[in-house]
Amino acid sequence: MTSSAFQSLILPYRQKLYCFAYRLLGNEEDAKDVVQDAFIRVWNNREKMPELQSLEAWCMRITRNLALDRLKSRKYRATDDLDRAGELPAAHHTPLQHAEKSDVMRRVHGAIARLPEKFRTVLQLRDMDGLSYQEIADTLEIGLPEVKINLHRARKQVREQLQNLQVYGIQ
Amino acid sequence: MEYNDIRTLLGKYWACESTEEEEEALRVFYAGHEGALPADLQEAAPLFRYFHDCSDVPDMPELFTDRPAPWDEPVTIVRPIWQNWMKYAAAVLVAGGLLYSADSFRDKQADELAFRDTYSDPKLAYEQTQRALQLLSKNLNRGKTQMEKIGYFSEATEKVQGKN
Repeated sequence: MTSSAFQSLILPYRQKLYCFAYRLLGNEEDAKDVVQDAFIRVWNNREKMPELQSLEAWCMRITRNLALDRLKSRKYRATDDLDRAGELPAAHHTPLQHAEKSDVMRRVHGAIARLPEKFRTVLQLRDMDGLSYQEIADTLEIGLPEVKINLHRARKQVREQLQNLQVYGIQ
Repeated sequence: MEYNDIRTLLGKYWACESTEEEEEALRVFYAGHEGALPADLQEAAPLFRYFHDCSDVPDMPELFTDRPAPWDEPVTIVRPIWQNWMKYAAAVLVAGGLLYSADSFRDKQADELAFRDTYSDPKLAYEQTQRALQLLSKNLNRGKTQMEKIGYFSEATEKVQGKN
């Protein structure tokens, strides 16, 4: 594959890959590094590209693996980036409402972060990145039934935690 | 959107039977709704508001500012030797031309040496030339005398053989 073909076929995915990496890592600098490394890896394996069914899924898969490697190598903790939820926009809210909202957002973030990795990734790909079930299956190299099962379990666990929030009157 | 529609969509969402469009409709509803919600709809509100807020990802930074992108590096194309035959033919032609030029230069120098004067004094040169010619003439005469003798001998031989 030529440089120009690579740039026209692969580089348009950069925004999507960056969002994906950013949501996994919660850090702009790390997300940028991971996307760069993903592009380098894709370029070094460009001979495989004609055999692939979905270039986008392949790029997403590489980005995901690199992001997970980075999470492991830096010994990130799921709760390390809870503070990020507190930085959400506070327009049209009083300080009290903003504090309440931030607290709720942090708890939702924590509920998702506490999910097992395979559940969390499926939930993120579907509900935040807006991928179809087939795209998720291609990205994670799993079957459609497994995607649906993992997503169902992820939503169920999050729902239970949200119900607990309501029970304790946090909302 | 009516609350009942939202309830229907939420039921499909929890059962993983909703489409992407229906999930987007839920995100839009919860993000835009102000004020109190029925108790059964409040359960999912934080989640969809969180999903909506998560769509605010920082702007994409410029990539490869600290190192060159690998696809921008010049790619060296290695071609088989026979594809570069013109290069080698040109090299052979240049080498042949140089040899021919060197050979021509040497011949020209040799020709110039033959016409070069060996004496600076014309009188001396004349005397030497005269002496050389006399020596040549003397030797030619000596050769001629010997040839005459051979001629006599040849005539005598023919007479003896009775050819005449």
